[in-house]
Amino acid sequence: MATLCRLSGRCVLSSRLGLRFCSSSPLIRAFSSDSGSPDGALPSGGNKPSSSGTSDSPDPASDAPSPDRPLSGFAAAFQLQSSIRREAESSLAGDSASSPGQDQSFASLLRRSPLMQMGPAKDKVVVGRIFHVVQDDLYVDFGGKFHCVCRRPKDGEKLQRGGRVRVRIQDSELTARFIGAQTDTTLLEAQAVLLGAIEGKEGRSNMD
Amino acid sequence: MAARAMTRGILGLRHSRAVTFGYSCGGSHYATAASIKPPPPQNEDVSDKIMKLPLEKPDFFRVSELFSLKDLFDARVHLGHKKGCRHRLMEPYLYGCRLDQDIIDLDQTVEHFQQALNFTAHVAYRGGIILFVTRRRQFGHLVETTAKDCGEYAHTRYWQGGLLTNAPIQYGPGVRLPDLIVFLSTLNNVFQPHVGIRDAAKMNIPTVGVVDSNCNPSLVTYPVPGNDDTPAAIELYCRLFKMTINRAKDKRRQMELLHSLSAPSTPS
Repeated sequence: MATLCRLSGRCVLSSRLGLRFCSSSPLIRAFSSDSGSPDGALPSGGNKPSSSGTSDSPDPASDAPSPDRPLSGFAAAFQLQSSIRREAESSLAGDSASSPGQDQSFASLLRRSPLMQMGPAKDKVVVGRIFHVVQDDLYVDFGGKFHCVCRRPKDGEKLQRGGRVRVRIQDSELTARFIGAQTDTTLLEAQAVLLGAIEGKEGRSNMD
Repeated sequence: MAARAMTRGILGLRHSRAVTFGYSCGGSHYATAASIKPPPPQNEDVSDKIMKLPLEKPDFFRVSELFSLKDLFDARVHLGHKKGCRHRLMEPYLYGCRLDQDIIDLDQTVEHFQQALNFTAHVAYRGGIILFVTRRRQFGHLVETTAKDCGEYAHTRYWQGGLLTNAPIQYGPGVRLPDLIVFLSTLNNVFQPHVGIRDAAKMNIPTVGVVDSNCNPSLVTYPVPGNDDTPAAIELYCRLFKMTINRAKDKRRQMELLHSLSAPSTPS
């Protein structure tokens, strides 16, 4: 604001002295990049537009803005838009500079996580990975807190450790409050129904 | 046993402190009777400097660079048990409850974990014995290999009643107890608090413990609120503890080399 006031003050002074030919140039200089001005105390609101190619602004305000009156009309709109553009550019630069996801808050990470977006876990179909096999029992990890244990289907010979399967979750953690207990008893397991394997690169015709 | 080791440490510290006071006032060396014994004060100075230097900065071992909030999030550290399993004293550490599942506040976890890792690093730097304890059979092997990789100890089996409190009789006189116990899970197989937490508090041994939403964080010196049921989370903790301890031990070796090289060069 100080720079604008200084140049506008000069303009007011010159117009008072009757020098009308220089009334427009200080205003244009005020709108364009004033990097050449030695004013150290720059205003915090951002009177300094980042792009210098703004000297071709349309006709400035017919009346010279006085230092006491706040910006209005084109001046206010230009200030607002230039600050918005600067913030957008700085945020883009900030995102690309820092590693992606490092500056995300826990709240935003949580809200955008698949677990939250999924909603209630009942009857949701998810993709899991088999991480342990005990004869006929498949331990499937689908991204929740616990794994689920499914029985191998009759024709599931190809379901081995590391395979990806589709499961329908019934409960993300099997807990129940028994009579006389202070807290729930938990089984440390989820419950899910195995729907079938996820087909890999080769497509089979008759597999479910 | 721990009391005896502690008094020995305190006496040693007092002795070295008195000697350094006597010498630091002097400044330059005079040809007095005090100059007869320069070599031991040099070693005391060096060992004092080695011990005191890490204490001058809040994060001397830079453990805050070892992990980020995103790493914790990807390892599902924020997932807690169901609402019915919640322990009342864990409520300050919870962010909230979503569809009956507790969510642990990772902002608090980051701070607590940094403090716990920093403390572990300092204990390892000073040559302390660290004991990893968990009663989860699913992760017993992982914890044992972690302890072996960083040159420390692990106890993932049944905890004998007098392991810490009756050690001189069970293991022989003069046995050295651990200086830090790290619990990867603070519950035993019947969902009760592990006996080691209470015993370590009795024996003045500091503890670091990962407390889930159904655990009691009271007696743990450095609780780390976090998930202790998912393999990804436990692998993350083990990896971070291993990195911290190795980093601290390497730093100690480096400092000793540096100061042992510089000690003879000082004029006596």
